[in-house]
Amino acid sequence: MKQFILRRVAQLVLVVFAVTFLTFASLNLVGDPLFNIVGVLSGIPDEQCEAVERGEISDTQSSGLNMGDCALIAQAKEQNNLDKNVVERYGIWLSDMVSGDFGTSFVNGDEISDIVRERLPVTIRLIVLAQIVALGIAIPWGVASAYRANRGFDKVSTVGSFGLLSIPNFALGVILLYFFALRWQIFPSRYENAGWWSELKALTLPALTLGLGLAATYQRLLRTDLITTLQEDFVHMARAKGMSDRHIMYRHALRPSMFSVITVFGVNTGALIGGALVVEQIFSIPGIGTELVEAVLRNDPPVVISLISVVAIGFVLINFFVDLMYGYLDPRVRTS
Amino acid sequence: MTEIQSTGDDSRVEVMVPDKVPDDGMVDDAVRKKLGVGFWIAVGWLGLLVATVLLAPFLPLDEPNKLGAGPARTGPSLDNWFGTDALGRDVFARTVYGARVSLVVGFIAIAFGMVVGGSLGLVAGYFRGRVDQVISFLFFTLLSFPGLILALLITSTFDRTLRTVSLTLGVLAVAPVGRLARAATLVFAEREFVQAARVIGAKHFRIMTRELLPVVLIPMAALALLGMGVAIVAEGGLAFLQLSVEDISWGVIINDGRGIRDLQENPHVALMPIGVMFLTILALNFAGDRVREFFDVRETAFQK
Repeated sequence: MKQFILRRVAQLVLVVFAVTFLTFASLNLVGDPLFNIVGVLSGIPDEQCEAVERGEISDTQSSGLNMGDCALIAQAKEQNNLDKNVVERYGIWLSDMVSGDFGTSFVNGDEISDIVRERLPVTIRLIVLAQIVALGIAIPWGVASAYRANRGFDKVSTVGSFGLLSIPNFALGVILLYFFALRWQIFPSRYENAGWWSELKALTLPALTLGLGLAATYQRLLRTDLITTLQEDFVHMARAKGMSDRHIMYRHALRPSMFSVITVFGVNTGALIGGALVVEQIFSIPGIGTELVEAVLRNDPPVVISLISVVAIGFVLINFFVDLMYGYLDPRVRTS
Repeated sequence: MTEIQSTGDDSRVEVMVPDKVPDDGMVDDAVRKKLGVGFWIAVGWLGLLVATVLLAPFLPLDEPNKLGAGPARTGPSLDNWFGTDALGRDVFARTVYGARVSLVVGFIAIAFGMVVGGSLGLVAGYFRGRVDQVISFLFFTLLSFPGLILALLITSTFDRTLRTVSLTLGVLAVAPVGRLARAATLVFAEREFVQAARVIGAKHFRIMTRELLPVVLIPMAALALLGMGVAIVAEGGLAFLQLSVEDISWGVIINDGRGIRDLQENPHVALMPIGVMFLTILALNFAGDRVREFFDVRETAFQK
């Protein structure tokens, strides 16, 4: 077990480096970061600024240069370490990030750590709620369809889950928004947060949007595992002792049938993060997704890099813990 | 759902466990499987869609971007089958032209994933050792990004042409396809026919392309259909973030019609394309599922 954990930790560290470096490098190599800070001034050739420094150009007229421009550029480069190469800048950025300093936005100078602190909890609440919705639906659903497998209800629910898996989540979001928020006005159509109750109401539709498709995935897995479990001797034993079917299903058969669900739990959290981006747009939720999209659209690389890294690291960590838990539950995994 | 990794073969494959058909490699005529009527209906729908898309310029359709093709914000009618949107554009024409972009993106994406992921997986599974470790780590890293985030990263660094968006989604498909190809290759590389080829002195390249590729392609075909659906959905997701192609796609049309006022006054602008998109994804998923069951690729997908 110890060796298993060590190997997974090593893998975790490698992947975190790879993921953050990929993000950092791609946004630094393509496009000119200097342009994003000083705008068109970044077009001034280096030689001209060097000439200014040497005192060869000293009046604005002949060169078309504003004398302060070069100082501005130099300052921007200095502050953002733009004169160093990508690997060095990555190192500096990473060590700053580890110590909690995410830097500031190029565009409006906001502290990125503040953005994360403000936005991340909303997204986390949405994702947790979506998982609760998914499990809350999938467990009774899976139990009911496994209870009389291949009979009426099970057949209908197979069709139903197949259909649910084929609705894109943004389409489901629009449909739910239309019926539940606009037509019947049961839930608000926009995010509001005046106390936990109003937030819960505002997050219900988004969580359903994310959770319904997931529920279908979980239901398929749980049903299959339950059908296998129900053939086990201990289930016959329980039945022979006269326990009620409900008791057997929920108390005896359910727990050993959760393996597959736990496995895909981690992977699906990643799907939820991607889905949350889209769903936050539909319901105007001020989460990390809307901020990320805004940052992309206003061309603000430091914010984009930090947010993507936070999300990716979170995703890697979740999968890491699911992996560990799986290894703990099922000894065969450790040796593979 | 929009994520390629979540459709993962694992979740769908596990459903197959209680199958009655014994997997002893012998096909008994009594249990020979059929593709079924549903499969042909699904294929029929996809065929109809492709035909419509190809013939779109010759059909009596309005220009998809023509303003005032009918009065603004009207419901479905004989003139405008899917009604008109806030700018009076014909929603049916837009849906047909949107299908063009969506299908092309889906197709290119999965084709790219098949070629790149398939070759990488084949090489990893065939050579094993160091090569396998490097390629598997690459797959692992790609899968460590939530899919849509990776897509957003790529489209925001490059541009938003049809080519970039398609290839971006293609990159997303590389890891899942590659893992399947690798797993299948690992299994088949042990088989007698491969050893026989080796004994008669076939080169690595020849063994991979002539012996292994044909058998590995079968499980990949099922994944291709499923993957195309995932890519189309992912393109729609990007469109919702305003980061997809600057053209009409299903995602763009639905995004256009999802404003509160639009939904209140003319919900068909969003709901009609949603319906068409849903049927298409359903058809792709169903066909993919049937193909997988037909060829019974359980064996290859299960092994790690």
